[in-house]
Parts: sequence; structure tokens; C-alpha cells
Amino acid sequence: MTTGHVLLGFLVERAKHGYELKKEHDHRLAGAKPLAYGQVYATLQRLQRDGLAEVAETRQEGGPERVLYAITENGRAELERWLNAVEPSAPYVASPLFARVAVAGKDADGYLVRQREAHLARMRELTAEKASGSPAQVLAADYALHHLDADLRWIETALARMKEHDDA
Amino acid sequence: MLEGRGLGKSFGQARALDDVSLTISEGEVVAITGPSGAGKSTLLHCLAGVVRPESGEVLLDGRRIDALPEPESTKVRRESFGVVFQFGELVPELTAVENVALPLLFSRRGRQEAMAAAAEWLARLEVTGCADQRIGELSGGQRQRVAVARALVTGPRVVFADEPTGALDTIGGEQVMSALISAARAGRAAVVLVTHDNRVAAYADREVALRDGSVLAGVQR
Amino acid sequence: MITVLRMLNRGRSRAERVRAWLVAAGAAVAAFLVCTAVSLADFDDEGGSLTGLGLALLAVPVAGLLHQANRLASATRERRLAALRLAGASPGDVRRLGALEGGLLALGGSFGGGVIYVVSHLSGPLLPVPVVVVVVTLGGVVSGARAGRHVVASPLGVVRRVRMRGPRMRDLLLFGMGVGCFVLGAVVKGKFPYVGAYGSVVLMAAGLVLLLFGVTLAATWAIRAHARRVGRRARSAEALLAARLVEADPRAWARALAVVSLTVFFGAMAGAQQAVVGYSQAHALVDVALLVALVTSAVALVVHQAEELIDLRRSFSALAASGVPEGALGGVLVRQAVIAASPVCVVAAVSGVAVVVVTTIDIYQVQWLGWAAGRAVVMAGMGVLAAVLVAVAARPLLRGALSTYVRA
Ligand SMILES: Nc1ncnc2c1ncn2[C@@H]1O[C@H](COP(=O)(O)OP(=O)(O)OP(=O)(O)O)[C@@H](O)[C@H]1O
Ligand SMILES: [Mg+2]
Repeated sequence: MTTGHVLLGFLVERAKHGYELKKEHDHRLAGAKPLAYGQVYATLQRLQRDGLAEVAETRQEGGPERVLYAITENGRAELERWLNAVEPSAPYVASPLFARVAVAGKDADGYLVRQREAHLARMRELTAEKASGSPAQVLAADYALHHLDADLRWIETALARMKEHDDA
Repeated sequence: MLEGRGLGKSFGQARALDDVSLTISEGEVVAITGPSGAGKSTLLHCLAGVVRPESGEVLLDGRRIDALPEPESTKVRRESFGVVFQFGELVPELTAVENVALPLLFSRRGRQEAMAAAAEWLARLEVTGCADQRIGELSGGQRQRVAVARALVTGPRVVFADEPTGALDTIGGEQVMSALISAARAGRAAVVLVTHDNRVAAYADREVALRDGSVLAGVQR
Repeated sequence: MITVLRMLNRGRSRAERVRAWLVAAGAAVAAFLVCTAVSLADFDDEGGSLTGLGLALLAVPVAGLLHQANRLASATRERRLAALRLAGASPGDVRRLGALEGGLLALGGSFGGGVIYVVSHLSGPLLPVPVVVVVVTLGGVVSGARAGRHVVASPLGVVRRVRMRGPRMRDLLLFGMGVGCFVLGAVVKGKFPYVGAYGSVVLMAAGLVLLLFGVTLAATWAIRAHARRVGRRARSAEALLAARLVEADPRAWARALAVVSLTVFFGAMAGAQQAVVGYSQAHALVDVALLVALVTSAVALVVHQAEELIDLRRSFSALAASGVPEGALGGVLVRQAVIAASPVCVVAAVSGVAVVVVTTIDIYQVQWLGWAAGRAVVMAGMGVLAAVLVAVAARPLLRGALSTYVRA
């Protein structure tokens, strides 16, 4: 329900159109996957159903129908709760990368070396982007870089352990 | 431009480098990575002419530089190479700007000219405020940027950097790295970067991964 | 404590054994000089007591050398002492360890010096010998305890400190007091109210001792000012580097040059006096003592040079790695010696002549100044030359120090 909370957050300032919300999402969550229009409207409808947002105004001036959404009191309370809640700290290891290695076992080393290459290539791209990015883009790139780095370090450790195992 | 062919070096029983070959082209940034003891520093020292390899050869623009007599090897290092070490290794008794001017003064340039060039480089690396402070009074990040300025002030063909961010935190390391890379690119200098930090290696155009003294198969492209 | 000392000794390097010998030999020389001086101090014979005084004063630089050797010990052992601190030794433990070691070496050395004196002066008075041995040993204890100070302060003492040890006001004060006592003694001469006939002599001697300390310590100011000037005008990298290095630590240079400056001071003084009374046997003895002092001063400089190279190792080897020729770095050492030694030697030579001229101003004739000035110039030149020679001789040491990065 993260997208819902993000949209609620954008509505605090003032009432907005769905189109506006999509633009703002893609700009502020720079590294994230861009939102599809369909997803924006589906999420807004769900918020409306749960009483967290409401329609403030509907206008039709020749063009398509323009609906302006606003946040409700309940919506503000829910947003507040979400902003202050602590994410559960990695309760499960859920990563396709890990799953592959778990299945392949010792034979995963070829895959790991290729994955390592792919990660490094992506890190190079992100590092290059940072040089000319907006502050939001730099923050997003930092986030991705640190996560890729964590993966890489795990890959290196895994490779070393497999080698250790072979040698023994 | 700079090429190592079949480089080998042992310390007693330990084989620090075993038949390592690599080519670095004009203006390219290459990261040498690998776990501790893999031979990264040894490879860097061989390429930079600080250590003589036991086997193999090092060529700069097609000319062998690994077997030159010491005075000429020194000359090559002074004119074509720049180095940045983990702790900067600047002269603590000199001010920042004097440290940067030092290589120029050793190349017998005039004092006025050397100081002016050094001040300009410090400005480019955004360490202007403390140009006249002694090295001991600078932060680790500032020191490393001064070291980068000192490595680049002579307009070298290749800059060698051994763990240039080893003693810095994320942001400090980032500032030093982006200063190093953009300055090197502007001066069309190649960079040979030794690191075991992937985020630092990501500043390079490509990676040479070492394991136990050899290039890891499949990784060098 | 003794066990720890033994453990430390077992693992020590050749350099440290050499240093231990240096400390013991220094103690022996100091004990011998002082014993001889005491035997010569015959109040009935003015020439004899003057020579005695000279010899006793020469023991001062020898003591300085001793302290320096102890300091070098702490520089080379710094890592290990710091490790001791981290392993739980208290500052007191480290200090006691230094005191024990310094004291033992000084005891051995001074005992040897005393024995040599007794053998060569069987007829002379033997009473002062044990006293001198005790005094020299105590000196070794104090110097050993003080030498490891900065490790005592911080267990992480291995971290390279920024060396900016400037001159101190106290040194100038000492200098001023020395001049005061000396001039006072010279002015009142025989009419001194205390300690009978020798009152003014005692006062003058005290003034002379203060003056000597003052000259060496105040040299710090002269060295720093000179280094600043050279640094501002330096056109070559060698000169700039040398000037800044000296400027950053003038006290160490002043200490190392103490023996040199004393030698120059005495040489100039003796020269000015010879011009008055003509060359006599006592003067020959003084000249021999000066020669001994010059050798001692060279040793003090070698010790300092070694200490300095330990400090410079990292930054110099990084310079060498980036293509600065070894010859240029050797040039830096020589320039440092010239920058530091020249003001010290000039000041020492001038004050040496001045001391004699001031005390005998009523009888001193202008034509004597020629000989006096000539000797002063020769002494100053010899002092600078000694420093330069040591720097030149230190080049092989430099090569060893540069191998931090050049690991082949
Ligand atoms: N001067 C030397 N004497 C003896 N052995 C050495 C010397 N220098 C390096 N070695 C050995 O050579 C091997 C490679 O050392 P090197 O310093 O190149 O590793 P590295 O990859 O730079 O490691 P690190 O990341 O820890 O700096 C190691 O086994 C090391 O012990
Ligand atoms: Mg290394």
C-alpha cells in the first residue's frame, strides 16, 4: 500500500489531479519505476473507498473530465502513522539472486560471476548519472548503489566460500 | 598507451604477481580490484616503475620502461606519471599550495609560475580556503584532494591511485573520487585505480579483478 | 619491570644496540671530563682553573648528546612503547622503564669513565670520582624518564604528529640572565660582597653556564627567523622544502646544534684570548678539548639526522615514488644543515668573541681583534661544514628510508 501513502503525502499540500500526482511521483521518487495512469486512478479509487481521500471538485470544460482529489482527516491520520512506522528489518531473505544460488548450489559460480558483471555495469551507469543529476536523482542513485554494493559483497563472499568448500 | 605484458613478481615464497597482462589506453580509467593480498598494490607499483617486475615488461607508448636505469626511470615517473596514496603522504611541514607546487619546482619551473599553477589546481578541486594551511590542519578529505592536485599538476599521462579513499567516509570519498576523475578526464590523463570498494571501482570505465596474483578469468573486458 | 626491559632488549635491532653504546660512551666521556676538570680546578693557578672550567663546560654538551641519544631511543621504540601502553602499561610504567634503561646505561658508562680517570690520574684526588658517577647516573635516569614523554601522553603516539614546536620565551630569559650575571661579575670584579675573593668568579661562571644554555636555546629563534626568510625567497623545491622543514621544528635543530654552537663559542672565545696573552700550553689543551667537542657535535648531528629521517620517511618516499630523484632529496638534507647551522654558528662565534672583549674591555686593543675575528670566522665555518658533512654522509640512510614504497 506504499503507493497509496505516497499519493496521500502529495495531497497534503493541496488538492490535485491524477495527472499532476503521476508527474510529481515520477519526479520525486527519481529512481523508482514510473507510475502508469491506470495505477494512479486505481489507487485513488481505493483511497476514496477507504475514506482516506475524497473528490473535491469535478470539472468538465470541453475536454476530458477533470477530477480534483483531496485528503480527508482519516487520510491525514493514516499518513502520520505510516511516516512514523518502522519498517520490519529484513524478516525474510527474498531475492531472486539468492534463490538461484540456493537452487544451483556449488554450480552457481558461473552465474554469480556474470551477475557481478551486470551489477558493476549498472553501478558504473549510476555513478556516471550522479555527476549531472538533480538532488533527488543523486539520493536515488546512492540508494541503488549501496544496495548493489551489498549484493556484490555478498556475491564475493559466496564465491570465496564456494572456493573454500572446493579446496577442503 | 601503457601496457604490462606477462608481469611476475615474488616476495620470497609468496607469488605476488603471476603473468599479469593489461593495456591501458589514452584517458581510460581502469580499476584494479581484488581482496587483500591479491597483488593489487604490487601490480600498480610495477606499472608505475616504483618496483621492478621479475618477469615481463612494461611499455609506455611502445617504449620499454621497466628496465631503464634509475635516473631515467625517475624522469619518466616525474614527467608522465602522478601518484596518489591512501594517506596522501604529503609533506606535513609545507602548506597545501606548496605541496602542490613541489613537483613543478622539482622540474625546475620558476617559483611564481609553480605557485600560481598550484593555486589554480587547488581552486579546481575546491580546496581554496585552506591553501595556506599546513597539511596537519586539513581534514582527510581535503588532504586527499590536495594529493590529487599534486598528482595532476604536472599534466601526467597516467595517474596511479592506491586506495585513494581508503581513509575516508562515503561522502568524503565521493568528493575525492569525482574530483580525481573529472580532473583526469579534463587533462586527458588515464587513471589506474586500486581499490577494494565496488562503489569506488564504479568510477572506472572497466575493471581488472585480481585473485592470488592473477587476473580473474572472464572479468577483464 | 626488569623482565619487561629484558624482553624489550632481546628483540632490539642493530640500530638500538648502537644507540645503547652511544649512551654508555657519552656517559663515560662526560664522567672523565668532569673528573679531570675537578682535579684541575686549583684556585691558586688561574690558567689551570680556567682550563678546568672549560672542560667542565664541555661536559654540558656531552650531557646534551646523552639526552639526545635517549630521545632517539624513544623515537625508534615508539611503536613498541605505544603497544605497551595499549597492552595496559601505565604512563608511570613507561617512564620507569625509560628511567631504568637510561640509568643503567649511564651507570655503566660513567663507571667506565671513572675507571679510566683513576688509571690515568693515580696521583690526583680520587674523592670526586664516586660523586661524579652518581651525578651522571642520575642524569641518565632523568633523561630516560623524560625521553618517552609523548608516548606516555598518548598510546596512539605512533600516529604522526604535526611537528610545530616553536621557540619559547623561557629560552630568551635564560640568555638574558646569563648576560646579566656575566656583565655584573665583570663590572664589580674583586669588590663582590659575597663568597670572598672568588665571588665574582663564581658569579661569572654561573653567568657563563646560563649564557651557554641561553645561546643554544635562543638559537631556536635565530634558526626559525632565518628559515622563514629562506623559505619566502626559495626558488627551488629543495630550498623550499629544506627551509620549511627547519622552520617547522627549529627546537630539534637547536638541540642538535647545541654541541656545535658550544664548540664554535669556545673556539671563538679561545681565539680572542690567545690574541691577548699569546698561545700557551693551556690553550693547546683547550684546542684539544675543542677537537673532542667537534667530534661529539658530529655524533649529535648524526643522531638528529637519523631521528629526522624516521619522521620524513613516508612523505619523502612518496615524493621519490612520484619521480623526485634521490639526489634532490639528498640536497634537501644538505640545505637544511646550512639553513640551520649558519645562524647558530654566527651567533655563537660573535658571542664567544664578545664575552672575552667585554670582560677585558679596559685592556683590549683593537689590533687583537684581527686574530680574534679570524679565529671566529674559521670556527663558524668549521661548524657549518661539520653539519653539511653529516648531511652528506646521511645519504645512504636516506636510501634506506626511501624504501617504504620502493619495496624491491
Ligand atoms: N615488501 C614485501 N615483502 C614481502 N611480501 C610482500 C611485500 N609486498 C607485498 N608482499 C606480498 O605480496 C602479496 C601481494 O601484496 P599486495 O600489497 O600487492 O596486495 P594488495 O592486493 O595490495 O593487498 P591490500 O588490499 O591489503 O593492500 C601479499 O601476499 C603480500 O604479503
Ligand atoms: Mg595494497
